[in-house]
Amino acid sequence: MLKLIVCIKQVPMVSELPWDSRTGTLKREVAEGMMNPACKHAVEAALYLKQKHGAHITAIAMGPPMAEEVLYEALSLGADRGILLTDKRMAGADTLVTSLILAEAIKKECTDFDLVLCGSETSDSETAQVGPQLAEELNVPGAAYVEHLEIENRIVRIKRLADDFLETMEMTLPGLVTITTGHFHPRYASMGGLEEAFNTADITILDADGLGLDPDLTGLKSSPTKILDVYSPVANKKNTVITGAVKKIVDNIFDTYGDKIGGTIGKDLKTHEHDDD
Amino acid sequence: MKHKLVRKTVREFVEAELGPIAHDIDRDARFPWEVVEKMKPLNFFGLQVPKRYGGVELDSISYAITIEEISRVSAAMGLCVTVHNSVGAYPIVIFGTEEQKRRFLPALAGGEKIGAFCLTEANAGSDAGGVETNAVKDGSDYVINGTKIFVTNGGVCGSALIFAVTDPENPRKSASVFMVQNDTPGFSVGEIEDLCGMRANQVSSLFLEDCRVPEQNLLGRRGEGLKIGLAALNTGRIGIAAQALGIAQAAFEASVKYAKERQQFKRPISSFQTIQNYLADMATEIDAARLLLYKACAYKDSGKDFGPEAAKAKLYGSCLASRVTGIAVQIHGGYGYSKEYDVERYFRDAKVTEIYEGTSEVQRMVIARSVLSQPT
Repeated sequence: MLKLIVCIKQVPMVSELPWDSRTGTLKREVAEGMMNPACKHAVEAALYLKQKHGAHITAIAMGPPMAEEVLYEALSLGADRGILLTDKRMAGADTLVTSLILAEAIKKECTDFDLVLCGSETSDSETAQVGPQLAEELNVPGAAYVEHLEIENRIVRIKRLADDFLETMEMTLPGLVTITTGHFHPRYASMGGLEEAFNTADITILDADGLGLDPDLTGLKSSPTKILDVYSPVANKKNTVITGAVKKIVDNIFDTYGDKIGGTIGKDLKTHEHDDD
Repeated sequence: MKHKLVRKTVREFVEAELGPIAHDIDRDARFPWEVVEKMKPLNFFGLQVPKRYGGVELDSISYAITIEEISRVSAAMGLCVTVHNSVGAYPIVIFGTEEQKRRFLPALAGGEKIGAFCLTEANAGSDAGGVETNAVKDGSDYVINGTKIFVTNGGVCGSALIFAVTDPENPRKSASVFMVQNDTPGFSVGEIEDLCGMRANQVSSLFLEDCRVPEQNLLGRRGEGLKIGLAALNTGRIGIAAQALGIAQAAFEASVKYAKERQQFKRPISSFQTIQNYLADMATEIDAARLLLYKACAYKDSGKDFGPEAAKAKLYGSCLASRVTGIAVQIHGGYGYSKEYDVERYFRDAKVTEIYEGTSEVQRMVIARSVLSQPT
């Protein structure tokens, strides 16, 4: 039976994003959480493999205690086990430290894994770095931006999104893939799945000590990435009001913006300049 | 955490699957079978049925949250699901024999058959003892004749609980309940009612003409009909309270959004104290209704007599839904009175929550009876 690991992250719902202006990080404790969209697709990819080949799925999440919710969600969808990595000393970890902690957890709790699946990126930071870095830490081959995958004879055949085309690649297990939101559309959790998840939950909670980590190397202070500033983009656009008769307005628009409009729609508007004269 | 996740899960499903069509199915009075098909594998039709009969046996608060969230998007479908679960299937869970449970519950829990509860007749409503449909024993069968009206899910039901008199000499004390499948000869569906609200639900009359069912289809004992009916309605009222709450919540959310966007006198109308007072009262009363509902659920799950609590939750929740949806229309002004805006639908849907599964007047009877029976 395949041993799959899905790394999932709880992200704040898009409606409210409370920032700690001092540290430049999100105040996750006060934000309403949800499973990161790409991680949901990664769970779906794991469920697809489970249905096809039979598999044991371990879902791992790192975050504040409330992140346990996404593990219950994964269990209700069909994952078999959950691991929550939570410790105040891990708060503020950047992608490097996060992937290091995840790797330690995997080495400790799921040594004989076949495939790790991550979301390709998270909606709250969009670095897309944790998956590839985790492959490095685990010393296994990794492929990012995977749209589709199949496993045969311990070989993963993937279709990977690269700019405007799909690459087909093969890699041997064990390995790691990051899944995009393109293909594996998440199913809905059933009420029976939810009830089952809460009645028979198998969730292991580990802190830095439980993972045997040096607490000084797990959080914000030990993260080489420093967020210098966080701000909301301010729209500095000004409206231009063009007045006059309709024909004059149209001429004016074409004179001023003809190149831009033409460039956008891919037509040389100048050739049509006097068509209706 | 469980209840939060139940809410998120149901909300995600209904917003995606019912949200885009909620307005149209109301306008067209169309039952969305395509969504029902998607609801079946998610166990929406086996919410209170034990696992061994194919259900998921949710706790009552999870059940209430599920109905609230469906109703927040489409009250007519919230109605379908709660009537199916609480008064269509649940009485079989409570009063059915092992054989009956095995025979009827799996199809209901899987949604292959949608359930209906048929008490109301032309001359029987709040006066449940006035049922005139009769069931005459003939060998090992009962032959049922009569007409049921305003049957929720009537046009789509596969399995109906029929209240019928089994002793014509003593009709008021001999109501019994029969489980009747829609393919039984003599069972037919009347026209779909043209109602003010809940239009996507196929509320109809049901006709029983020499409808012959084996005596094994008698639920509980002969003459126990009123007892079964009252027990079913106690559970049903939790569902209707949840449904009313969902409608009120939707109207409230629409009002807050509109009040922030709508500009009058060069500022959003939410900056006016009158509108603020409306919104503050709505928020407060909705919270109160929710807590009253959860109290009734907690009573039910802990095995206490939850009837009066369910009646309070239903009475308060349904009156609140009417009040809140009325204010929501008022906040929206002329637009609120237009079918272009959803608050108009909420306003129409809310009213009937004060009427079905026991009118507000009947709820007050139930509550008063409980109050007066306490030792002073």
